[in-house]
Amino acid sequence: MTRRALVEAVRGAAQRVIAEPGGLGVSLAFYLVIVGVLSGLWRVAVENNGGDLAGYSAVALTWYIITSESATVAIHARLIADIGDDIGSGAIAVELLRPASVLGLRVAAEVGRTLPKLAVLWVAGGLLATTVAGAPPRPLALLLAAPSLVLAVIANLIAQHAVAAAAFWLRDAGSAWFLYLKAVFITGGMIIPLELLPNGLQRFSLFLPFRAMAYAPARLAAGYIEPELLLQQVAWIGVLAVLAVAVFGAGERRLQVVGG
Amino acid sequence: MGIEARTLTKVFETGHRRNRRRIEAVRELTLSVADGERVAYIGPNGAGKSTSIKILTGILHPTSGEATVLGVTPWEDRQRLARRIGTLFGQRSVLWLELTPRQSYRMLAAIYGLDRGAELRRIAQLGELLGASDLFDQPVRSLSLGQRMRCELAACLLHDPEILFLDEPTIGLDLVAKQRFRELLVGLNEQQGTTIFLTSHDVADIEHVAKRAIVINHGEVIYDDEVAAMRRTLLATKVVEVGLIAPLAAPTRPGVTMLEHTDHTMRLVVDTHVTPIRVVLDELLAGPAVVDISVVDPPLEQVIAEIYERPAR
Repeated sequence: MTRRALVEAVRGAAQRVIAEPGGLGVSLAFYLVIVGVLSGLWRVAVENNGGDLAGYSAVALTWYIITSESATVAIHARLIADIGDDIGSGAIAVELLRPASVLGLRVAAEVGRTLPKLAVLWVAGGLLATTVAGAPPRPLALLLAAPSLVLAVIANLIAQHAVAAAAFWLRDAGSAWFLYLKAVFITGGMIIPLELLPNGLQRFSLFLPFRAMAYAPARLAAGYIEPELLLQQVAWIGVLAVLAVAVFGAGERRLQVVGG
Repeated sequence: MGIEARTLTKVFETGHRRNRRRIEAVRELTLSVADGERVAYIGPNGAGKSTSIKILTGILHPTSGEATVLGVTPWEDRQRLARRIGTLFGQRSVLWLELTPRQSYRMLAAIYGLDRGAELRRIAQLGELLGASDLFDQPVRSLSLGQRMRCELAACLLHDPEILFLDEPTIGLDLVAKQRFRELLVGLNEQQGTTIFLTSHDVADIEHVAKRAIVINHGEVIYDDEVAAMRRTLLATKVVEVGLIAPLAAPTRPGVTMLEHTDHTMRLVVDTHVTPIRVVLDELLAGPAVVDISVVDPPLEQVIAEIYERPAR
């Protein structure tokens, strides 16, 4: 499959989001409510702990939350279930009629669908954080957070496709979707920075890919200049891509043998 | 040869261990379609049409048997074949509702490896051929179903396929749009030599588009002949509906069966093998009682049922 096909898939999907700004507006409203509540709770917790929680100030935690939430809220909430439905209903079989990788095109299209939302949410979140807490702790770290956010979304989307491919065998990816979201919530650092988790869980999360999906960009946005987080994200994307290609490929072969 | 299948069989296994069942969806299917033919591939629901089309397009592996499409074994080289065939499924859109067809074509052109110049030339050519140029820049969501289907057809012709697999392409279209769509398919075949492999439950699609009909049931070919021959042998029954201003005696000729007879209406079935339709019409119109008359083909179900009752070859 050519790079142009992937670029066009990203572009076409982004155009679809922009063509229907209503959906974007709903996501933005949901996001602002969530980050408003969560960042408010964290600021209270920090103040009650003498202005510091595991090294995070109130400002840093506010920037952490607006970034971790934008990385996850920007992604279509029912993506795993929808992919599962397409597999279960046989709709995905039609995509096999194209001379291109079904997985590659789907991930590219989801990246295109997510990026405009991500940009809107993060900018809105940044304005909110500046208003309620203060300017970003370290602008250079924020510059690193921007590419890290894109990597976070790519890692998350690839992983969701790998998980959704379970529907090739199970017909329903609903339960996998539920477990996946909870894993990103906790071990991905989506609502709680990993440093605040119990030691055992914190160490466990080091070996999981979910930290690449929320924690990495959020930690950078919180003012920690740790470029190795970007390298870890790239490595996890590689691992997840190999896994997704293997699982999706096996699923496609199964579909070809046993039918949709 | 465009499509060649020999003793294709597909068995699905369903259920778990003790309840495991084997369903033979396609059984020893053998058929061949030459380049440039227009073939209707028909059968009742569950006959094995979709399964065999999925095998011929490379989506499904057969359990046994051989097939080549344009010289390619579909399930072994699906992506290479996909560059040379077009598929249109009436109930599944390849266009994105939020975008204009032109925006969707851009992505499809990239998938099929058309460079930008070739893409623009082809879109202009298809716009002219399908009379749809003015539709390409409107959001798909705002198009009528008939307009959308023309744009869908353009999408599946974008890479200039040699064979077109069409599954219920006219489903949901109104009469005018259906007729227009059929004319487009015939024009495409005559002007560009595209092989048409059409599945439809609409007998008018078969009559107006196809030159040859292949009928399958229970996974086997039960009929394979020219549509003209099919018409002679199987569409030989006509229904005559008559409006009367005065009572009229029913024709008593052989092959004529009365369905309904009142002082004001008459509905009868004529087996034209036995009595030509002209003879019956002449008799009915001989007196002054008839004010309205129409001759229609019997319902599709009746024609289909007649074919499906035939044993496999």
